[in-house]
Amino acid sequence: MTAADIGLTAPTGDLQAKPRWILAGLLTGPALYILIMAIVPAFLMVQLSLAHREVGGLWSPGFELTQYRQLATPLFARIMGFSLLLALTGAAICVSLAFPAAYFITRMRRRAQVAWLVFLLGSLSLSEVLIVFAFQVLLSTSGTLAGALTAVGLLAPGGSLYPNFPAVLTCLVYLLLPYVILFFYPALSQLDPEVEQAAATMGASRVSTFARVVLPMMRRQILTGVLLVVIFTFGAYLTPLVLGRPPQWTIAIHINNAAMGAGNLPLAAAYAVAVVAFMVALLVVTRLLSRRREAEA
Amino acid sequence: MFGLELRDLTKAYGEHLAADHVSLSIPHGEFVCFLGPSGCGKTTVLRMIAGLETPTSGAILLNGKAITEQPANSRQFGMVFQSLALFPHLNVGENIAFALRLRGVDPRRRKERVAELLELVRLPGLQTRAISQLSGGQRQRVAIARALAQEPPVFLLDEPFSALDAKLREEMQNELRALQQRLKITTILVTHDQREAMTMADTIVVMGEGQIQQHGPPVSIYKHPANRFVADFIGASNLLPVKILDGQTVTYGTTPLRVGATCGLGGAPATLAIRPEDVVITRAAGGGCNEVAGVISQVRDMGAYVEFRVACEGLDILGVAAPRDWIGAGLGERAHVRLPVERCQVLAT
Repeated sequence: MTAADIGLTAPTGDLQAKPRWILAGLLTGPALYILIMAIVPAFLMVQLSLAHREVGGLWSPGFELTQYRQLATPLFARIMGFSLLLALTGAAICVSLAFPAAYFITRMRRRAQVAWLVFLLGSLSLSEVLIVFAFQVLLSTSGTLAGALTAVGLLAPGGSLYPNFPAVLTCLVYLLLPYVILFFYPALSQLDPEVEQAAATMGASRVSTFARVVLPMMRRQILTGVLLVVIFTFGAYLTPLVLGRPPQWTIAIHINNAAMGAGNLPLAAAYAVAVVAFMVALLVVTRLLSRRREAEA
Repeated sequence: MFGLELRDLTKAYGEHLAADHVSLSIPHGEFVCFLGPSGCGKTTVLRMIAGLETPTSGAILLNGKAITEQPANSRQFGMVFQSLALFPHLNVGENIAFALRLRGVDPRRRKERVAELLELVRLPGLQTRAISQLSGGQRQRVAIARALAQEPPVFLLDEPFSALDAKLREEMQNELRALQQRLKITTILVTHDQREAMTMADTIVVMGEGQIQQHGPPVSIYKHPANRFVADFIGASNLLPVKILDGQTVTYGTTPLRVGATCGLGGAPATLAIRPEDVVITRAAGGGCNEVAGVISQVRDMGAYVEFRVACEGLDILGVAAPRDWIGAGLGERAHVRLPVERCQVLAT
């Protein structure tokens, strides 16, 4: 007599089937949201970039590469080059400041850590518009910083600290720094203190431990942090518009100008598609390099 | 003197004394186990020796030279941590060579030394293996090799085997002991596992409430515990509340018991300690001294030995007997237990 003969059947299949249905039900909402809010607009954007431009800011459906040909110009290359330069410089500064800052916060007493986290989260509640215009005031001829520099003779009277590249970069770093610190904080707070202590018992100084143990162990997080800043900075709009001159304008401003100023929606869409493609390529290359490095290790 | 010396080492965290005036001399080449329950201060003392904690007061001397103020990276005592703390971004060889690289040892010598150490810990040829690809026992060995790479004057281990299963733990304990005897390196191991301490150490330091309760050779500590804490912590003990009658007699309830020596004044309360294996059980009274009558309250036949409890004067006396010496009595039967005079030890309460 088997278990089946007396009506005992294994419930495994039923038990496995139920969670699958529950999972499918739970995932339907987010999947629909992503489909409607991200994939459909992306598809529309590609469609628009291939459309025929009409006069008066209009367009008609079509399949032409006219706008994409405009991407193969020195102007577009310069815009993309500058956007990339700004993004990489911003990322380098942000990560160089945020990583040690997050490291030192995690080494503080619990109370001090909480205070810092509250402060950082609080700073995120400030509107980007407010911060950018505050920077404008601070760096302007009548601003506090310019005034102080003029007083010590480092700035000519009537001089201003904006619009220029350093002003754009400084403001972007200020805007992104709290995000990057908060991004590094969980990984660094989970770093086993015994790893650093082990390095110390083997003769490593604090600096040496940081450089030879902590930094390499956090390589993946650092790389992700860099990508995070690059992606944010590449799409920066308000900061370069207010604190920069046209040569310091990012691709986001040029997309807006093409769409709203020149009324060329297909060109704006082609710009946007190029940016997305560039970002995807950047992510893929980074991932491949990171995998190769892991495989070598 | 040559070796490591702790003088009145104290570590306070606010009001709490994690280590309370710890003084100890460890001769060169000795294997010492700091043994005690969780929170007794053994790891704190080890960390102070390593230079990872600063003592509140007291001094640490190595070969007669004070090293109390030296940071951990100057002392360079090899240490194996509870978590092992291997560097996951480095492979086995790079982990072991870490200290040598910091010292600027040339790559050829480094390579040779790594190979030597891997031979020593019985992992030859694993230089290029990633840490994530190692088993628990292999990681343990790599951590030991890494700590030994710099030829440290003192080798410290903080509960290194606690995460291993029983079989592997025993294997690693034997290997470490053999390694230590070969290298003749002063070794301090922190553990809460008394079996580990008993089987590995030349000297056991029993710690409780931040203080050294007793230190000495394992057998001596087992046979002659200095106080109730040690008797209770090391192995199983019968701890009977007694009253001191005179210099060689105590009373347990109404029964007078002869002992080797007492401590304290007549009438004072004390604790009589006797190991279960020293308790002798008989069916009938033998007529000798130190016999207490009682009723068998528990019998557990463990195959290799029989464990029994006899309720006498309101307390259970625990004993073990070899199967051939077991009287074959069952629960509720009357029996007599004899507590040999030379095995009874009176401790202050």
